[in-house]
Amino acid sequence: MSEITSTLKYVPTTCPYCGVGCGLNLVVSDGKLVGVEPNKRSPINEGKLCPKGMTCWEHVQNPDRLTKPKIKKNGKFVDASWEEAIDLIAKKFKETSDKYGPKSLGFQTSCRTVNEDCYALQKLARVGFQTNNVDNCARICHGPSVAGLSLSFGSGAATNTFEDVLNSDLIVMWGSNAVEAHPLAGRRVMQAKKKGIKVIVVDPRLSATARLADEWIRFNPSTHIALANSMMYWIIREGLQNTVFINERTKGFDDLKKTVENYADCEEIHGVPLETVKSLARQYAKAKNAVIIYCLGITELTTGTDNVRSMGNLALLTGNVGRPGVGVNPLRGQNNVQGACDMGAYPNVYSGYQAVAVADNRAKMEKAWGMKEGSLPDWYGSTLTEQINDCGEVVKAMWVLGLNPVVSYPDSNHVMRSFEKLDFLVMQDIFWTESCEYADVVLPGTCFAEKDGTFTSGERRVNRVRKAVDGPGESKYDWEIIGMVAKKMGLSGFDWKTAKDVWDDMRSVTPGQFGVTYEKMEKPESVHWPCPAIDHPGTPILHVGKFAAADGKGTMFGLEYRPPAEVADAEYPFTLMTGRVIFHYHTRTQTDRAKQLHYEVPASYIQINTIDAKKLGIKENEKIKVSSRRGEIETLAHVSDDVAPGVTYMAMHFHKGANTLTNTALDPLSKMPELKHCAIKIEKIAGAK
Amino acid sequence: MAKKGEMLYAWTNDAALAKKAECGGAVTELLKYALESKTVDAVLAVTRGVDLYDAVPVLVSDPKSLDACAGSLHCGTILLSKLVMEYAPKMAGKKLGLVVKGCDMMGLLELAERKLVNLDNIVMIGVNCGGSVSPVAARKMITEKFSVDPNTVTKEEIDKGQFIIEYEGGHKGISMDELEEAGYGRRSNCRRCKVKIPRQADLACGNWGVIGDKAGKATFVEVCSEKGAKLLDGAVKAKKLTTEPANPKGVEIRGKVENAMLKLGDKWRKHDFEALAPALWETIAKETSRCMKCGACIEHCPVCVTRADKYQQPDLMIRHGFIPADPMFHLRRFAHISDSCINCGQCEECCPSEIPLALFSHAIRTEADKFFEPKLGKSAYTN
Repeated sequence: MSEITSTLKYVPTTCPYCGVGCGLNLVVSDGKLVGVEPNKRSPINEGKLCPKGMTCWEHVQNPDRLTKPKIKKNGKFVDASWEEAIDLIAKKFKETSDKYGPKSLGFQTSCRTVNEDCYALQKLARVGFQTNNVDNCARICHGPSVAGLSLSFGSGAATNTFEDVLNSDLIVMWGSNAVEAHPLAGRRVMQAKKKGIKVIVVDPRLSATARLADEWIRFNPSTHIALANSMMYWIIREGLQNTVFINERTKGFDDLKKTVENYADCEEIHGVPLETVKSLARQYAKAKNAVIIYCLGITELTTGTDNVRSMGNLALLTGNVGRPGVGVNPLRGQNNVQGACDMGAYPNVYSGYQAVAVADNRAKMEKAWGMKEGSLPDWYGSTLTEQINDCGEVVKAMWVLGLNPVVSYPDSNHVMRSFEKLDFLVMQDIFWTESCEYADVVLPGTCFAEKDGTFTSGERRVNRVRKAVDGPGESKYDWEIIGMVAKKMGLSGFDWKTAKDVWDDMRSVTPGQFGVTYEKMEKPESVHWPCPAIDHPGTPILHVGKFAAADGKGTMFGLEYRPPAEVADAEYPFTLMTGRVIFHYHTRTQTDRAKQLHYEVPASYIQINTIDAKKLGIKENEKIKVSSRRGEIETLAHVSDDVAPGVTYMAMHFHKGANTLTNTALDPLSKMPELKHCAIKIEKIAGAK
Repeated sequence: MAKKGEMLYAWTNDAALAKKAECGGAVTELLKYALESKTVDAVLAVTRGVDLYDAVPVLVSDPKSLDACAGSLHCGTILLSKLVMEYAPKMAGKKLGLVVKGCDMMGLLELAERKLVNLDNIVMIGVNCGGSVSPVAARKMITEKFSVDPNTVTKEEIDKGQFIIEYEGGHKGISMDELEEAGYGRRSNCRRCKVKIPRQADLACGNWGVIGDKAGKATFVEVCSEKGAKLLDGAVKAKKLTTEPANPKGVEIRGKVENAMLKLGDKWRKHDFEALAPALWETIAKETSRCMKCGACIEHCPVCVTRADKYQQPDLMIRHGFIPADPMFHLRRFAHISDSCINCGQCEECCPSEIPLALFSHAIRTEADKFFEPKLGKSAYTN
């Protein structure tokens, strides 16, 4: 195409929204973004897009974009030069680190931005400040997947590709509303269904995905382990387990068998009739190839890691790992939630999951990064919401890249109070978010359409992001901003000129992705990591013949059911579950600026059951008061039988919405807060319509 | 002087282009000449993107750029007509040239009917089209039916009822019938299409009917309008192009090829529509019950034009924020396009919920056309 001078330019790139990683073409005319057109050449989505993908260009040139650095002076934000902003950040972080030590800093990066930005920020944290207090928002979506699947299979990532469900004989979707949260992965399930492959959805709510299913199994919120254990009891009782697979490829069967003996019938916990449990168990165990697709219904609980391991248990017990048509696949929520973790923006690992606790790894990184021997810390850093909890006492200064914690983290009031306790807060974003109010410095970054880079999708495919237009005003590439601070501090190794330079820096220290070069990403097939060598073809399916664990085995665990940290009681009698809608992405900074998306869902609402609504005298679309022990909000009632009596559901996208109510209690293994389950009460507002 | 209805063989006098282009390179030469002579200000063309499965539109005003657009891409399934409206508004008052397949041409005619494009400012060089294959489906077909790595394919063509590939180490052709019986091959809307030679363009070009010593070296050109005749004459006069009257035997063969394609189109219509007939409502209800309201079927439809104030209207039958879309979401669209669906297939190909939308709207239109007088007046084409 180099020989062509065209005033209409198609720039093939990757959708900035969910973790499916759809290909699309940004259309540029005379330097302006004018639309999105299908990229039918993409094997991921074949040109098809969801409502968010179709409109993903609309926010890019919005006049609300941040265009200049801003510094808070005497309580007011004023425009500043880059030099002034960078000087201030370097000075404040250095001062804080010198005075209070490396644990006084917090670095949080987004799963929405490119790998290159994530790698850059964790490198700055580690090289510049010798801190492991660096994390990303996978912590509050698929942190338990990383932890749980690592324990079960030896790798914390999805085992098979999205398209691979077409090779299956049974698809079990558990706590995944893929049609709304990952629409083009949902499309693969639709295709499978059209092909005659049975789809079972296990979900407390009649979601858009459940509507699609051949069979929908409603269970009580957050009782995954009890239901899975009961299934496994019946699989073992009826001799349907895959003994050859268990003997050759796994360990821990006896532990599992012993534990599930107490779960023969536990309908009083999970609410599923025994015969349905038996039928589900038989169908899953007897299918030639069965795949489990799960999502945040599994992970965002204080039992998140154990829930994930329960999915692992089911697959290992029945031999459904390591070939086409099977596996355990978490649908990663955000466009780069896989990548942000892969890049080492994590408090206990460097890129490629190289543990900071291992002396050899530290020595290797010190050498690669030109650091003094013994200077990198070995301690497990503070996680995303732990950093919030520690604000003021331990954490004094924080750098937040592309996150809106005031809306997206649990217990919004707590987040706001915590931010107020910080000495210094840097927010780096593309729009002025609710969280920017608490910052001392706000930096204008660039969005997906304005930079080169990569997103790693939920199927471990590294997809290219290509620059279509320049960022607005004085905005800069985010890795460039990080590099400016590093250079201001006199650090070396941050002299990247292009996104590819940052990527190659990462590759050189990351064995599992060494072979994933920009050249290999040119075609839309790209590469699935692990890809350890330049001539390696990549690995679409994990654990073929041997698990990624050190001993090559998959591990089954005996796991007991535990109730959520906060359950409905007399004072707060309803259970609140949270989730997503297809028309919005996270805190809506992007999607609410697209006309169609705003039109479809302009305001927050809560789904409540018809019986409950009747009892409370609440009508459809009535404004009501909802409160938990942590805060109260007003929202609109959506009355239906999609949720069971006593159960409610809210989407997490709105300020002064679901997360004003949610609970900060943590999963002990993954530090995941319990975003999906808390107790609330619902009241009528006098005079409300 | 060329006249409307005249049939010619034409080839470029530019040896380098002839080598690069297919069948004498007349189409590329005509577009280049259109730019050089200022007959048009820009050309909307298609070029190869990342590989031969990736068709990418470009808008060029430098004739030299067109060399890179020579040749055909049967795995390119883009529709240019809506792009003209959406992305070339700066062309207002200026003249645009483009290569059109049947669906591109029909789309432009429909847009002109709605006064959304002005055909006076457009030069359409039509090309015969026996149908196209979606890129990912093509790669799958080449892997599974041809047992060839699609990355090694250097050329693909659809000729004499076969899909033919040349690849590093050989060439292979398999009959379209065999491929399509096995679920591969052309898009289903292409199979039903009956506008194989776009005669409502200004010139209709192609390789059907080029025989004898000119086979493979010349393009068959049917002159379809005065505008087309003028462009052709100009190019000949400027010594860019050479023409000779088409071999009468070639004209006959071209007619036979077209007829065979039309018969095949009828066969597929019978196949698809008869299968749909007994459970029409149920099928539409079942298939659309997966709709996630992405809006692609509206956005990419060349005859679907939405109101600027659509989001300010009260909605009585389609719930906001709810999927699957309520039935009226689809019914109103089918009604809107009922007498103008051109069966371009974009709605179906771009649908993330795998709804056979083109099948439904094409069936509605063809059945309606047989029974009702068209409210927008008779189309220049029949499909």
